[in-house]
Amino acid sequence: MILPIGPVHPNLKEPLRLKLKTQGERVLSAEIDYGYVHRGIERVMKGKTWQKGIYLSERVCGICSYIHTQTFAETFEKIAGERAPLRAQFLRVLTNELDRIQSHLLANSTYFKCIEHETLFMYMLYLREPVMDAIELLTGNRVNMGWNVVGGVKMDVNQSHLDSIQEIITKLESEFDRYVEMFDHGPMVGLRSHDVGKLTQEEAIKARAVGPIGRASGLKHDLREKHHTYQDNFDFKVIWRKDQDNYARNMNRFDEITESMKLIKQVILNLPEGDVRKKINIPAGYGEWRNEAPRGEVTYSIETNGNLIKNISIRTPSIMNIDACAKYMLKDVATVADAISTYASVDPCIACTERVVIVDESGKSGEYVYPEYKLEYKSE
Amino acid sequence: MSSVIWYLYEFARKSWAEKFTAAKTDSEIMEVPSRFRDFPEVRKEYCIACGACTAACPAPMAIKLVRTSDSAHEDGITYPVINNRGCIRCGFCAEVCPTDPKTLLCGENHLIREEFTILPVDKMFVIDDYLCIRCKKCLKACSEVAGAISEVDKKMVIDQSKCIGCGECIKNCPVKGAVKGIYINNVEEQKEIINMVVDTLEARIEADQDKIKKLAPEEVYKIDYPIDDLVKKAREIIPNDELIRDSIEKITDRLKMRILTWDDEKCTNCRLCTSECPSGAITYDKEKGVQRNPDKCLKCSICYQTCPFGVAGLYVARFLLSDTSLKDGVIQITLKPSQLPIRS
Amino acid sequence: MLDGLKDIIRKSSIHVCLVSTGGCNGCDIEVVALLSPRYDLEQYGIYVTNNPREADVVLVTGAVTEQWRDKLERIFAKVPDPKIVVAIGNCPLSGDVFNQEGGSVYAPVSDYIPVDAEVSGCPPRPTEILAAILSAGPDAIAAKGRQKV
Repeated sequence: MILPIGPVHPNLKEPLRLKLKTQGERVLSAEIDYGYVHRGIERVMKGKTWQKGIYLSERVCGICSYIHTQTFAETFEKIAGERAPLRAQFLRVLTNELDRIQSHLLANSTYFKCIEHETLFMYMLYLREPVMDAIELLTGNRVNMGWNVVGGVKMDVNQSHLDSIQEIITKLESEFDRYVEMFDHGPMVGLRSHDVGKLTQEEAIKARAVGPIGRASGLKHDLREKHHTYQDNFDFKVIWRKDQDNYARNMNRFDEITESMKLIKQVILNLPEGDVRKKINIPAGYGEWRNEAPRGEVTYSIETNGNLIKNISIRTPSIMNIDACAKYMLKDVATVADAISTYASVDPCIACTERVVIVDESGKSGEYVYPEYKLEYKSE
Repeated sequence: MSSVIWYLYEFARKSWAEKFTAAKTDSEIMEVPSRFRDFPEVRKEYCIACGACTAACPAPMAIKLVRTSDSAHEDGITYPVINNRGCIRCGFCAEVCPTDPKTLLCGENHLIREEFTILPVDKMFVIDDYLCIRCKKCLKACSEVAGAISEVDKKMVIDQSKCIGCGECIKNCPVKGAVKGIYINNVEEQKEIINMVVDTLEARIEADQDKIKKLAPEEVYKIDYPIDDLVKKAREIIPNDELIRDSIEKITDRLKMRILTWDDEKCTNCRLCTSECPSGAITYDKEKGVQRNPDKCLKCSICYQTCPFGVAGLYVARFLLSDTSLKDGVIQITLKPSQLPIRS
Repeated sequence: MLDGLKDIIRKSSIHVCLVSTGGCNGCDIEVVALLSPRYDLEQYGIYVTNNPREADVVLVTGAVTEQWRDKLERIFAKVPDPKIVVAIGNCPLSGDVFNQEGGSVYAPVSDYIPVDAEVSGCPPRPTEILAAILSAGPDAIAAKGRQKV
């Protein structure tokens, strides 16, 4: 029997249709229908000036809106052959890590909602609010921040801002361990999480899973390692695990939050003096840039004539992760409830995935995925 | 059972019990931080109606410039109005606003320095150095508004980062075409319009080929082509009258079209032209004789210069737009034989 | 008497269904943030069910995309009377940045279903959403319910 879930469903925040092929309570396989959130954002950006483009790129995705603006700005800086001032780069790291913390907390809270553990769901949202406050304090807005510009960031920070962020992070750190322990040792959570939704390393490579989903399956791949700011100034280690199930994915995200908090402390400690923005003259050209978003890697490739965006194509991580979920994780799951929680554990972000729809002659529409795109994985 | 005990242990904390009994929503949730960017605040009295905010706004229906009606004593003022249903609170309008003090205020606004004020306009102004006579009238006009034009190496140059796109320079320039306003958006549509106009005009001239062939060397042939047709077609491509008028005006100003006629009756099949033709448009066939394929023709005029019998005729067409209002304008086409010498 | 009782019940217990009709999902996560202990939506008697069949209030976030044009009306038909629709964010109100050349959205939402209250902002702060729901929600439901009876 085919059990359709969505597009409006108590456990899905975003519209998407999940078709589960079931036999009794057992889920045999799954199929995913996209297309509910396609708005044509790439086409909207095309032909606009790049000054406008950075505000449009925020609206690709609301949860990880920050990394989209950063990647957009860094692509243009690459086309111009320049880099933002060092202080601006540090501030970008600061906001990026704050954004990562709130995104991971939201993702985990959604998972806990799906395994009917409302207590942890509430705790996660309780932890998330101070982080949102820190973001609002820094950038002036909670979600779509409008904080990056090509050539730096918009506003400078002063000591009082840094102090309050430090305070928020210290408070978060002191409370954080208790909740992680609740997840780690909670017997109910363990029953619902351990050995559910397995994604082996080979399958992860095949499905090109990225981000925490790939890393929880043993793929040590984090683009922050290759980013020039992180490489030159920061000391951090890539979090990865080998146990491959729902528990691993959530635990991986928890560990990354800890790592992000360390990075934020480093930023506050070592923030250099100087300008936060410089004028960059954009020549005509083509550029490509990859960055590590909370969900994996984001790629922007932009062609510009120095003033307008002639061509832009965005590749976001969610499409591969959701695909990996549908193809490999939802294969022979014990119950439908487990299937839902497995789906939530990959941190799906539908708004990210839907940009290009190709309609073939028979009228069937499907999502366009780069067919020739290959990732270099370091597997250990 | 173990889980129940575990959760009892988890909740049986003093701090938890205290929080549970004293739970209430903080009043601080209604407070906004000092940097919070709310909807922009408009201060009408400073507005210079440059339109930078409307051009810069990434949302399509957030800002509108409105003008109050004139009273008996003074002119009406123009000022931006923010539509809260469209505004995305990015603060870009406040960043680009060139007035001092700012007309638009949005949040604790950023780091505003002159070098960062970017004014995205849909029309870019460029000075053609070849046509410029350096009268400096544009410099004078601009210095009163934006101060974007300056003299560099005895050439007049427009600084694009300061230009607000008001068009004063074009109005004051005495030479037609020395200052150009280029629409930087809709490039593809503009190309389409240009191709369409050129194709239509060419087809119109070709239709009169028989009359053109009979022209005497010094004679001039004139056609009046009404503009309505072109405008109707162009509106299908992009419904922007200003852009259409601008493109048609520019096309008729600059276009010089070569028209090649072919007179089969004069041909003696000497085949001098077939080997000279660079694109292979002229071919020889035993049964049909020398044939010319007009689709392949580059109008390079080599056949005209080669043919000793005057089979090929070369004419030059020029265009003039009589009325720029788009309504009852007529494109006057003037055609005269080319002055190119015939190789002998 | 009966009406008064119905009014009280309708005011004190509101079930909300969140329908995201295609946006950047910034507004959706702000609604989720409303559930957090900080804002605590449930203390006002509002419960997010996400099930249109038992909802009193439909929160629409998002410009209407191609797929939603017919489905939105179908969902609205399934909501029991009295139906209240609150449009959250700029997308349902004007189409936001997507409603320009190249975008494939069919905003505003009011073309398809009647909208009772609106919150503007991209996205609005949770407190703004809360204030809008509380100022419009309970009384509107009571008033609308009385009309039908």
